[in-house]
Amino acid sequence: MSPLLAGLTGILIFFVLLALRMPIAYAMALVGFAGFAFLTSPSAAFTMVSKEIYATFSSYTLSVIAMFVWMGFLAFYSGIGARLYVFAYKLVGHYPGGLAISTQAACAVFGAICGSNTATAATIGAIALPEMKKYNYDNSLATASVAAGGVLGVLIPPSVILIIYGMSTGQSVGKLFMAGIVPGILLMLLYMGAIYLLVARNPGLGPAGPRFNWRERLSALRGGLGEILVVFALSIGGLFAGWFTPTEAGAVGAAGVLVVALMGRRLNWDGFKKSLLDTTRITAMIMLMVAGAVIFGRFMAVSRAPFELASFTAALPLPDFIVMGVVILIYLILGCFIDALALVLLTIPIFYPVVVGALGYDPIWFGVITVMVVAMGVITPPVGMNVYIIKGVAPEVPLEVIFRGIWPFLGALLICIVILIAFPQIVTFLPYALMKQ
Amino acid sequence: MRMFSGLVTEFSKVLDKLAGFCLVLLMALVVSNVVLRTVFKSPILGTYEYVSFLTAVVIGLALAYCAVQNGHIAIGLVADRLRCRTRAVVDTLVNAAALVFWGLTAWYIAGYAGAMTASGVVSPTTQTPFYPFVYLVAFGLLALCLVLLVRLAESVKKAAVK
Repeated sequence: MSPLLAGLTGILIFFVLLALRMPIAYAMALVGFAGFAFLTSPSAAFTMVSKEIYATFSSYTLSVIAMFVWMGFLAFYSGIGARLYVFAYKLVGHYPGGLAISTQAACAVFGAICGSNTATAATIGAIALPEMKKYNYDNSLATASVAAGGVLGVLIPPSVILIIYGMSTGQSVGKLFMAGIVPGILLMLLYMGAIYLLVARNPGLGPAGPRFNWRERLSALRGGLGEILVVFALSIGGLFAGWFTPTEAGAVGAAGVLVVALMGRRLNWDGFKKSLLDTTRITAMIMLMVAGAVIFGRFMAVSRAPFELASFTAALPLPDFIVMGVVILIYLILGCFIDALALVLLTIPIFYPVVVGALGYDPIWFGVITVMVVAMGVITPPVGMNVYIIKGVAPEVPLEVIFRGIWPFLGALLICIVILIAFPQIVTFLPYALMKQ
Repeated sequence: MRMFSGLVTEFSKVLDKLAGFCLVLLMALVVSNVVLRTVFKSPILGTYEYVSFLTAVVIGLALAYCAVQNGHIAIGLVADRLRCRTRAVVDTLVNAAALVFWGLTAWYIAGYAGAMTASGVVSPTTQTPFYPFVYLVAFGLLALCLVLLVRLAESVKKAAVK
């Protein structure tokens, strides 16, 4: 069997193991090991696996994940999400559809202290859904707006998926974070526009809430919210300014949220312990998946499958944008079935040489586009992770009702991707203009 | 069997608590280094190395309890549609394969740590030996294997009973 055929067979076996419900990290590591052993030798494969697992687990650069994940959970357990939502809805809640619109703003700001789409959806969902129910919002609009809003959590820095992309490709995490800001805001505005249009057509979907005066609105900023925004500015701002490494930015952010929460007596011992428990669970899951992907990537490299695919693509008599379109289509299809993080880990060693190496697209731009495309998978059936999270928060709403409400948001997400493909400067301007390296 | 399963869960929980403690240490170390470097122009020597070691300990010790909580993401689209007994047989095969693979990996990582002990490999700045941390990762994988063993026994029982 040729190395290339072994590589393709390995990919096929990986999908079979996934279908049999083997955890993604185990399947990547197992297939990567077996394929590497087949193409080299079992002892070489065990040596490679041992070294790569320890190297991944002890990676200074990857330690950033634990820090940003902890920062998000500290914010969650100290009730910062709730105060964010209250502020947003005092600001725009009196407009028709205003509660759903303020949900998007709350998701965007919470995304700025949390790097995960599911955590963002769960946090804001738990606060926003009861409020929207109180004001007789349509179930489909209410639940779908929170599920879709969660996507903002992975686009607006910090973002675990952008960190993983940066680690896999050697790109600057700071630049990737900066590149995610404008597309994140654009997506938030498009979501808000979609809600506005939906409610304008059918006002019964989202009746207006009560109006608050400016004193009441500004009072919502008290109670630690202002301090949290300062912590974000220090942590992410310090990273952009080159004062901190990403790990330091994450540690400063986590420490800052912890200090603000403790000073305001908003975090008790139980909440602190839970934040640690959730962080170790999520970090172990991510790091084992990264180790699995590294092992799988080593197998792909010796099989030469990514390079053959890159040469094949470069030789195709097709315009670059069509090839790019096919790559995005593959992401969209796979994203319906595979977890976003796993999909990035699995496909970057294969698609990165094609898109950046052979076609010459900008690596930072491709990172943001990849995140947006895989993020579509978290709100599309059948494995729309965010939709299942929201189902957990609102068990009385049937899954099909949530998925029915997703379409306008999916449309907004698609429009956003098309805009970013047509005008890549929206993504690349900030990082290249403001960051030296 | 239930007692063994309970013991494994409790053992994993203890390891996870240690991992949480190391996470707090990790954050405190990095923040202290930032403060000392910025304010007193006197960074902590070897922070980079200690962060790497602590990260390895956090992950190694958290692996097993993550598995106890079903934290390692799996996709049940096809397997969930299988009949109960067929699913139990499939689960048995998947758990057995995972157990053998991670067991062998733990063994080889322990061997890697042994080789590091013999050759006296230390970190460049603080001269800290690598091997204790590599052994800890092997130990964490071994704890993961205990969880997988419990899962394997459960799936075998289901496959045999129904």
